[in-house]
Amino acid sequence: MKKILYSTMYSFKEIKNSKIFYSFLIFALILISGSYFVSQTSFISQGRIMVDFSIFAITIFNIFIGIFIGSSIIYDDIEKKSIFLSITRPVKRTEYLIGRFLGLTVAIIFSTIIMMLIFYFVLLIMHKYIVPFKPFAGQSKPAVTHLKSIHGNSVKESKNAPNKSIIQKTKAKPFTVYSLPQPLIIQALFIIIESVFIAAVALLFSLITSKALASIFTVLVFFIGNVSSKMNDLVRPVKKIIGGKIVIVHQANHLLTNIVHIIYTVLPNFSIFNISSEAAYKIFISAGTVFYRIVYGLSYMVLLVIISSLIFARKDIS
Amino acid sequence: MIKLKNTTKYFRVGFFGIKKYAVYDLSLTIEEGKVTGFFGPNGAGKSTTIKMIVGLIHPSNGIIKINGYDSTDYRARLNLGYLPENPSFPRGLKGIEIINYYSKLLNKKINKNEIYDALKLAGIFYAKDIHAHKYSKGMTQRLALAISILGDPEILIFDEPLSGLDPIGRKEFKDIIFKLKERKKTIFFSSHVLADSKELCDKIAILTGGRLIKNEGIAAIEKEAEGYTEAKLNLSKNRERTQGTAKPEQDKDYLLIAEYSTPLEIYLYDLMRKNKKN
Ligand SMILES: Nc1ncnc2c1ncn2[C@@H]1O[C@H](COP(=O)(O)OP(=O)(O)OP(=O)(O)O)[C@@H](O)[C@H]1O
Ligand SMILES: [Mg+2]
Repeated sequence: MKKILYSTMYSFKEIKNSKIFYSFLIFALILISGSYFVSQTSFISQGRIMVDFSIFAITIFNIFIGIFIGSSIIYDDIEKKSIFLSITRPVKRTEYLIGRFLGLTVAIIFSTIIMMLIFYFVLLIMHKYIVPFKPFAGQSKPAVTHLKSIHGNSVKESKNAPNKSIIQKTKAKPFTVYSLPQPLIIQALFIIIESVFIAAVALLFSLITSKALASIFTVLVFFIGNVSSKMNDLVRPVKKIIGGKIVIVHQANHLLTNIVHIIYTVLPNFSIFNISSEAAYKIFISAGTVFYRIVYGLSYMVLLVIISSLIFARKDIS
Repeated sequence: MIKLKNTTKYFRVGFFGIKKYAVYDLSLTIEEGKVTGFFGPNGAGKSTTIKMIVGLIHPSNGIIKINGYDSTDYRARLNLGYLPENPSFPRGLKGIEIINYYSKLLNKKINKNEIYDALKLAGIFYAKDIHAHKYSKGMTQRLALAISILGDPEILIFDEPLSGLDPIGRKEFKDIIFKLKERKKTIFFSSHVLADSKELCDKIAILTGGRLIKNEGIAAIEKEAEGYTEAKLNLSKNRERTQGTAKPEQDKDYLLIAEYSTPLEIYLYDLMRKNKKN
């Protein structure tokens, strides 16, 4: 257990110092800050454009980190032979693999939090989209601690946000603390899960093919996983009730339907982690939905890591 | 004690997965508290054998036991240090950070002084705060050595420890091996430089084409070598006398004797050359 922890810390340090991680992080931060200018091109709903744009940037860059670092975290170790010294210590290969993977997980969490913080500050400066944070309102709490403690409270918050903000405005104290609306915070959580999930896919592929192929396959899985539910809807037979009977008025090619069904069932559905439209309209996400999607992501992830570690344990490293 | 029993390793190469044997039916016992030199030409299978011992590669056939544990079991490496050939480290981390991490992977608690001692013994202490990817080849080798001797393991396995080092470095490295030898460590090292053999080894194992062709104590092998070289020398002289025309410079055996100074080297070199063809 301890060894996993140390491996995790070491991996995180290594990733944090890597150029690829830096560049993705910086790119994302530039885009998030730039979302302000993008929103200025529109006269209406500037806040929504900002949210859409920034969430897209945060998602895509974390996915990139997941794909590119996930496919290289063990592969490069083997390629550069730096793995020789670590797995010839008295550690199990599984411990090593899990340690590396958790290191990447920590890196993804770290990058998401930084990106969300910057996003939060941009929104704060523009005074858009943020909701007053009631329990601590008026006290000069630092924004950071506040963001962390939000999970439980924001639920009640957004339900009656409108009238409360009026009250808040009427007797606004100098230090009103604002937080992000609940769906945005849930979106951040989903981005983490989705990126780590993708990283697990990339890791598995990198153990059976080359790094480049692993990245390509992972991008494909991600893409298909994002559109598969829509595709599935598209090939579903169109039914109408004519004269009291259900009549199929349009049926796509059977073969095509089956292929789409198989893809839909086998490949993970990534679109459930994208709630940017809910976030843009500040629609509250129910605890059940959040729970179900987290469990969905986590169980896939665990399965992928188990398969990876079985393959890795049998792999000749030379 | 390390025991290899009928160990074979083949790799599947190419599109059709054709078997390519790297090590064939190797049985070898590496004795406790002794230095065993593992010699052979390029591509003989030395590194493959070593990687099987340290558990990086799984044998295709046969078994390898280290202190009673199978080489694929992590417990086989509880008391083992390994120096790979051409070691390398991840980018962006300092030498001290790297060795700190590896010290955490051991089953013992290693304190700061022990880490410093290992770095000093390997002669890389001065560069501990430099990023490891900026190290020269010799410095990287030294850091890897420091890591392998961390925690004072009983078994030390070095894959070509002297390659890539300058003459001073080689001397220092040999001194380190001598020091470890005095402390009764089990040392197994590979090399293709025969000149290193005599001074360091208690035992010599020779591998060519994946097959073990010699595995004996140094005294026995030296005796054999002397007899062999003498015979060879006589043969060469005879030829010179009988076929007067041939100049000694063109005689193969003569050249060999001229190039290698000790009988042992001549003997081992010839042994490898003869076995290389099959
Ligand atoms: N992963 C691999 N796939 C296919 N063949 C391999 C692999 N690793 C090693 N070999 C082959 O096995 C043989 C032995 O290689 P090995 O590296 O053990 O030689 P060596 O004795 O260490 O040589 P050197 O002195 O050059 O280091 C070589 O012919 C090599 O091509
Ligand atoms: Mg080798």
